[in-house]
Amino acid sequence: MSSLPTAASYLSAVSEADARARAHGATPTSTPALSMSSSVTSSSEDTVLDESGVDVADGLSYPRVPPTSDQVFTTVHSEFGHCANEDYRYTSQHRAGTPYKSIPEQDPPYYILLTTYISYIIVICLGHVRDFVGKRFRRANYKHLLPWNGYAALNSDFDSFYTRRLKLRIDDCFSHPTTGVPGRTIVLLDRYSTDYNKTMVLTGTRTRALNISSYNYLGFAQGKGPCTAAVEAAVEKYGWSSGGTRLEAGNLDLHQQAEALVARFMGTEDALISSMGFATNSNIIPGLVGKGSLVISDELNHASIRFGVRLSGANVRMFKHNDMKSLENLLREVISQGQPKTHRPWKKILLIVEGLYSMEGTMANLPIIMALKKKYKFYVFVDEAHSVGAMGPRGRGVADYFGINPREIDILMGTFTKSFGAAGGYIAGNKEIIDRLRIQGHSFTYAEAMTPPVLTQIIASMASIMGVTMPKTPEKPSSPSLALLRSPEPAPVIPESEVIPGTAPASALPSWMPLVPSMIDGSDGKMRLRRLAFNTRYLNRGLRKLGFITYGTDDSPVVPLLLFHPGKMAVFSRMMRTRAVPIIIVVVAYPATPLVTSRVRFCLSAAHTKEDIDEVLRACDEIGNLLDLKHADGERWPVEEIIERAVELVRMPECP
Amino acid sequence: MSNSSQSLELLFTFLSRSYTTLETNFFKIPGSAVVARYVKSSHQNDPGRTLLEAILIIFAIRTLLQSRTRGDQSAKHFIQFDEKEIDELVDEWTPEPLAQPLSAHEQAELASVPVIVGPNGPKPKLASGKIVTNLASYNFTGLAGNEEIKVAALDTLKRFGLGSCGPPGFYGTQDVHIQLEKDIADFLGTEASIIYSQAFATISSVIPAFCKRGDIIVADRGVNFAIQKGLQISRCTIRWYDHNDMESLEHVLESVEKERQKRKSPLTRRFIVTEGIFDHDGAMSDLPKLVELKKKYKYRLILDETLSFGSVGRTGRGLTELYNVPASEVDMLVGSMATGLSSCGGFCAGSHVVVNHQRINGTSFVFSASMPALLTVAASEGINVLRNSPSILTTLQENVRAVRAILDRVDCIHIPSHPASAVIHLQIRWPTLQVPSAMTATPSSSSKSSRSNPLLVKPRDPPQFNVELEERLLQEVVDEALAQGVLITRAKRLRGQELIEVRPSVRLAVTAALSRKDCEKAAAVVKAAFVKVVGKRR
Repeated sequence: MSSLPTAASYLSAVSEADARARAHGATPTSTPALSMSSSVTSSSEDTVLDESGVDVADGLSYPRVPPTSDQVFTTVHSEFGHCANEDYRYTSQHRAGTPYKSIPEQDPPYYILLTTYISYIIVICLGHVRDFVGKRFRRANYKHLLPWNGYAALNSDFDSFYTRRLKLRIDDCFSHPTTGVPGRTIVLLDRYSTDYNKTMVLTGTRTRALNISSYNYLGFAQGKGPCTAAVEAAVEKYGWSSGGTRLEAGNLDLHQQAEALVARFMGTEDALISSMGFATNSNIIPGLVGKGSLVISDELNHASIRFGVRLSGANVRMFKHNDMKSLENLLREVISQGQPKTHRPWKKILLIVEGLYSMEGTMANLPIIMALKKKYKFYVFVDEAHSVGAMGPRGRGVADYFGINPREIDILMGTFTKSFGAAGGYIAGNKEIIDRLRIQGHSFTYAEAMTPPVLTQIIASMASIMGVTMPKTPEKPSSPSLALLRSPEPAPVIPESEVIPGTAPASALPSWMPLVPSMIDGSDGKMRLRRLAFNTRYLNRGLRKLGFITYGTDDSPVVPLLLFHPGKMAVFSRMMRTRAVPIIIVVVAYPATPLVTSRVRFCLSAAHTKEDIDEVLRACDEIGNLLDLKHADGERWPVEEIIERAVELVRMPECP
Repeated sequence: MSNSSQSLELLFTFLSRSYTTLETNFFKIPGSAVVARYVKSSHQNDPGRTLLEAILIIFAIRTLLQSRTRGDQSAKHFIQFDEKEIDELVDEWTPEPLAQPLSAHEQAELASVPVIVGPNGPKPKLASGKIVTNLASYNFTGLAGNEEIKVAALDTLKRFGLGSCGPPGFYGTQDVHIQLEKDIADFLGTEASIIYSQAFATISSVIPAFCKRGDIIVADRGVNFAIQKGLQISRCTIRWYDHNDMESLEHVLESVEKERQKRKSPLTRRFIVTEGIFDHDGAMSDLPKLVELKKKYKYRLILDETLSFGSVGRTGRGLTELYNVPASEVDMLVGSMATGLSSCGGFCAGSHVVVNHQRINGTSFVFSASMPALLTVAASEGINVLRNSPSILTTLQENVRAVRAILDRVDCIHIPSHPASAVIHLQIRWPTLQVPSAMTATPSSSSKSSRSNPLLVKPRDPPQFNVELEERLLQEVVDEALAQGVLITRAKRLRGQELIEVRPSVRLAVTAALSRKDCEKAAAVVKAAFVKVVGKRR
């Protein structure tokens, strides 16, 4: 495809290929447009990873059930699972007319809480005893914690106590090195430790595991596919360096195309991009607020937001996580009281919330926030790091999910790491604000610009979610080439409103970028969104039906499962990793969560198949029984029934 | 009467009975006997103390119960309003707009940024269709177009895809990241290194990882914006020394030590924070002297080598190679793969203890996705190229000398940059007598007699200049050079957000990818532009 420079020449090539195929009498299922692309092939060897020596029976590298002759898969199964069943699809959307609510947080039985506290106390006491003895008898090991030769200790032993004495015990569950595409499966580099996790030794062997941890919501982490082909073309054409900051000499045409596309995707007037997600918040918030302004922040906001707010010099007040009553009380207090001491009115009040909280699976209650905004006149900043792409019927994030006009929200921030398989972040809003941030935020003046491969991944993956409007060609609309571009299934018709423009105009994309039909008609993106929505609801509800305590909403692709005991984190993680079909999961505890609510976090992806989720549910069921984790109230189903009735479970409006 | 006494009696029996049950229940709790004995004996010795302790307990409970989010309510500045008044106040309040619209000047500033169409390199094409010689982009050793790196990068793309899809702690650490960390550590000669996914976010995260409230930082007055932000986040006690003045540094170190002895304050962590080649003016730190001083006064050195890594030294290892100082003498050596290796991200090299500490405490390391594999490999390959072909650095230094030879002797240009620096700042030199208003020549010799106050970031005799005028002139120079086919840029600053006002300058970045002849030609164009724009005003 890379040999075809323009979209118009692509279209004519498609119609030629179509004509050729008709002449040869090929079956209609082997789509000629697919087979002529260099990056996408329908042959079966290319769609599974060629890796000798890997056990093929685990269903990770090869599908358990071989595809039938009329199923054509264009993805590598280990990166993006093959799933042709149209029943395993759903749409992520808020039901109009119902108030937003997340699953009520359930407390575990008291003995769980009590033993959790006791286990922390035991570990802390042991740690102090070991420190006490160690500092006296094995000084060499504590050198960095003690003043030495007139230098103060580099780390205070108090600050590092938690890391040394608690985290170190379960360090084998963190920072596991990997290799290859972090897609549906991931390859772990096996390691062991001979000194109680102080150092890790790689054994040199590898394990392929089901990956339910990476932020890969739409499955764009692929080593093969249209997006990768586009990135390859970009590296050939642009190289991999942008060569400076945006305002000095690193400003490429690609940056402007990507920014325009992001704005169109989000449905805002303008957008800017920054080369790191964390830095988008930490460098841009100081450009928005300063002395005399107030930031109202959810208590569970991400570290990058706190970093940015601290740099800005604005006052900060926090409200209880997602508690709209507490927010309103706070608003009434701060507006009536004004600035501390002087009681002058605030210059402006900025409310910062996250679209989807990555440790809780809860969403910002946007409908109520927008109602409050009308009354209290504050500005709204929504951090959509996890929700953009992953939520909403068209993948446009929380505004799309709740059906809110994105232009009513002042600032929409998000990252490209999670749903788009790229890196960096964006800020979208009206032109006045974005231009101001270009001049006044730190990124454009001092931080390196985003590199061309990353920009291209963003452009390609966004275009594939949006679909591409081709320029009107002189050909008749009923020509065979366009018929080919139509998606095979009668997809649910979503009216294209003016506010959220559905498609990317071909003129807005780089002319050299190879396009494939599934990208142009948006069927690829739609499939990804709907598969993610199904997987999400299935796992959320499946876990609850098994009796686990989970947080968040049913439509959140981040699923936290509560463990409570710190000791269970390590066991859970190790048991999942050493199963016949290894599964890797993320465990998080204090300080990322409150002390008692240690949890497992699953991150779903469109790349997972239903069989993968079945596997996870079975594993959780077994381990949950062993570790005594099933404490939720409500009706329980046995795991096989859940797997059997998955479609029914997902489509229920309310999960009883 | 009897009725009331009867009911009182009932009350007393009830009270005494509930007291006994309370007592028996209390003594059922393990350890309660000890508490009771303690209270009893302390009450006997000093009845006042019981009262005091009871008050203390009540206070502690009250503090615990007080909600954090409503901390202000009981403060003395809190004014009680009723609901109606609050509603009125809410209705009355009109906030400022979230962002002020851009002024005409700011709009022009944004519009003046050149757009490069296609690959950025020594001779990029601009949106106007013009092909220009690039003396503005960071591509010191010409790695940006290297074919070997391209092959490796494309191969990585096929094996890894693009994004890493996770923070380093949660399966975002890939073998290529481990390899790059090892490559950097080996290249510099440190025990270990850690990579961050944006160069600008590196040092602002490294500083607060080590420096906490109560620690002492002695910093150069001319440090770059990223360091300033790191210092701000760290909440340390900061002392400033004059820009690149080792004598002033020693003086400040001495005064800090005296102050400590006088106050008999406990030993705290102490750091010197400075840059290798300064982003503000291209001056170079005297590393041997820095190391000598830091050892003498027992400080740790945080050195930002963003501009010097990959541009000075025999093979581009930076200041440590240039001055032949072992990199292990620098406690935290921060550099940039984005500028030095034409990839993206930054790194911090140091001992195992220093690096491992950041894996938990480096905010922008922990909370950010790791670098894309493709760019990580590009950086690793870049190091390989530098290691294997020292001739690149020789070419770069020759080009720098060629450019300096032409620009050094121009009347209207003042170059504060070090002769070996590949980043060259060109400031306007005004004749000493005829200076525009609000501007006098930089005092260079007279300020030595009395010292600046280390507590204040402002030096004693700040150089005077007219920012607006100089920026306008320099922009004219940039436009003029562009018209002649040479891409240069003003050094962009956030005016008003930098701690001290930085003198406007044109920033050149010399590259080895251009031939010596091209560099000379381009330098001649810059010179002509300066003479044309600034010279005629003299």
